[in-house]
Amino acid sequence: MAGVRSRNESAWLLPNDGTRTNHQLRTDMRRFADEDEIDLAIVGCGAGGSVLLQRLARAGWRVAALDAGPFWDPDADWVSDEAGSHHLYWTDPRVIAGTDPVPMGSNNSGRGVGGSMVHYAGYTPRFHPSDFMTRSLDGVGADWPLDYQELRPYYAEIEQELPVAGEHWPWGDPHGYPHRPHPVGGNGEIFLRGARKVGITAKVGPVAIANGRFGNRPHCIYRGFCLQGCKVNAKASPLITHIPDALAHGAEVRADAMVTHVGVDERTGRATGVHYISGGKERFQRAAMVAVAGYSIETPRLLLNSASRRFPDGLCNDFDQVGRYLMVQGAPQTAGRFGAEVRMYKAPPPEVSTEEFYETDPAKDYKRGFAIQTVSPLPITWAEHVAAQGHWGRPLREYMSDYVHWSCLGALCEFLARPENRVTLAGEKDRFGLPVARFAYSQCDNDKALMRAAQGVMEDILHAAGADEVITIQRYAHLVGGARMAADERQGVVDGNCRSFAVPNLYITDGSVLPTQGSANPALTIMAVAARAADRLIARRGSA
Amino acid sequence: MSGQRGQRSAGLENRFPGFDVLSQARHWDRVTAEVVLDRTAPAPVLKFFTAAEEACAAALLDQITGQPQEPRVPVLQMIDARLAAGETDGWRYEDMPEDGQAWRDTLSYLDADAALRCGTVFADAKAVDQLALLQAVQDLESDEWHGLPAAHVWSLWTRYACTAFYSHPSAWNEIGFPGPAYPRGYKNAGVGKREPFEVPDSQPSDDPVRQGA
Repeated sequence: MAGVRSRNESAWLLPNDGTRTNHQLRTDMRRFADEDEIDLAIVGCGAGGSVLLQRLARAGWRVAALDAGPFWDPDADWVSDEAGSHHLYWTDPRVIAGTDPVPMGSNNSGRGVGGSMVHYAGYTPRFHPSDFMTRSLDGVGADWPLDYQELRPYYAEIEQELPVAGEHWPWGDPHGYPHRPHPVGGNGEIFLRGARKVGITAKVGPVAIANGRFGNRPHCIYRGFCLQGCKVNAKASPLITHIPDALAHGAEVRADAMVTHVGVDERTGRATGVHYISGGKERFQRAAMVAVAGYSIETPRLLLNSASRRFPDGLCNDFDQVGRYLMVQGAPQTAGRFGAEVRMYKAPPPEVSTEEFYETDPAKDYKRGFAIQTVSPLPITWAEHVAAQGHWGRPLREYMSDYVHWSCLGALCEFLARPENRVTLAGEKDRFGLPVARFAYSQCDNDKALMRAAQGVMEDILHAAGADEVITIQRYAHLVGGARMAADERQGVVDGNCRSFAVPNLYITDGSVLPTQGSANPALTIMAVAARAADRLIARRGSA
Repeated sequence: MSGQRGQRSAGLENRFPGFDVLSQARHWDRVTAEVVLDRTAPAPVLKFFTAAEEACAAALLDQITGQPQEPRVPVLQMIDARLAAGETDGWRYEDMPEDGQAWRDTLSYLDADAALRCGTVFADAKAVDQLALLQAVQDLESDEWHGLPAAHVWSLWTRYACTAFYSHPSAWNEIGFPGPAYPRGYKNAGVGKREPFEVPDSQPSDDPVRQGA
């Protein structure tokens, strides 16, 4: 741990006086002029963009990250309240389609500096080594152009920087975590008890919430509002784990700047910078290199909206790969009712997980698998569970009044990448006049089989723990893919170093490059992939 | 579908006797307190719904949230404010209009159904007829209702209604949820454990579902 501060000082750059934002650091932030050709312009300040920004700033690059949303201050901007956190989500219009349309917004889409990690639960598992070669091993999905071993050191680095708390992890590539596991609340207790009874190994973690002080970040207060933005600065998001260090090393974060299209020189085919709108004005930031990190919906949308004479079907889309192979995880949630009070809203929703069903089981008629984790929905989300059972009116209210007795588990099922699950442009436009994203999703039979199997295991665990009744809601979680990395330009958009095949000075460094998703929450892997891409860029060009 | 069946009197209003979320408001951070307490202030005048839509939406929302009389959580006003501000969930089904138009359209369809069945607008129909009209929409599931997938219409109504209702401190009182928790946090997490300000369930074995079944 001694090394963390020497390579990422973010946690020590935050205030230690009970407030959460280092305003001086933002006031003193370096500001580049539009006409100044910077070394790299990054689009999007979430998991991928922020790590890249911090790494390159440390290497002396002149780098700026533009984000469509605000530069959050947890004290002033965030609340300890479910409905009042609506502004944390990307709620610009989007159209969802397909046989299994996937709701967006609070479910999977962040807004502002920190991105979706501002409102993710905080689970940060690694992918398994098998995730990088599912085509070879299981005949499904795709092989990555890199393997687990190449990402392994970056996983370990990021786990220290967040930092991650959890028990020794026996699955995938077994590894430990820098912080001890957190104590569990009622929901975690139920999960551990039920799993023990049915003979399933479950472990506490891995959660990107420091256990104890970390730099100037205080201890978690177990208030349960992880999905509403952490007002404590205990749960990791790039806003506090990478942005402060980036600013201290001369990076610029340009918030409230919506990038509308990537500039491309029609003669050379190279990226020249980014067109963006800020304060209602159209502007252009010159850059020697551009990295797009807008996540799986906005990254493809930006590329498709960046069509030119050279790229008539959208930037990097010569082979119709942009927007394709977008994945969500099937995320059924099963809840159990207990005579005792569980009060699952106390303690962070991310507590306990099992990856025992993660890998392909030859005895089953489906490939790949699923993970199970505690989820602990707050009242508005819990009402969705109850309404999904068909209740309304007085019965809905009576059922809801039982809230304190329920425990809730969620599965993450590895849905397979399919070319038809993709982002295209809708006819509808946003307030900037840009076509909005249309996202089509349809499940395959393997996906459906995983959902059923996961539900069965969750019901077994809850019954074994003593639940007298269980209910399940079908839903989805996370996004990855949409501009995937591949061996060549006919199978993907970028190479293993996140460099686009079509434009030599254009990179994509977010979740959209992932070719498979495993049954793991994607944040840690997105950060690790971005950290590795940063190392390759620095090695390629040298420290400035 | 359970819908309105399985009615029983559970003492909903007194399940957590004496529990009052607002009594702890002095422990909340200022920003959160402003947002939450604003919901208990007098409701603003409507901006989005026309008069005819207002009457229909009020009747619909009373049924969905089980609020036949005052005092009510002002679900209608909260939804009107959201729609007036264009505050959507950030997506719409391809086979549905955008949310504001979808609300206007579906309210007019409810009135049309009521005219056919009862010869009145929905708001003037008897409660039992309102229930039946809504149950008919829910029972269509993914089949079409006035050209829209009924399940997507049902999702629109219940999503907006539940989000509004369960954002209100009165609703938290009836489910035993203490609301905002910053900067105090919790010290007693775990099965069967409570904070000093939490109130035990007075009817712990009163599982509404099994009794309703």
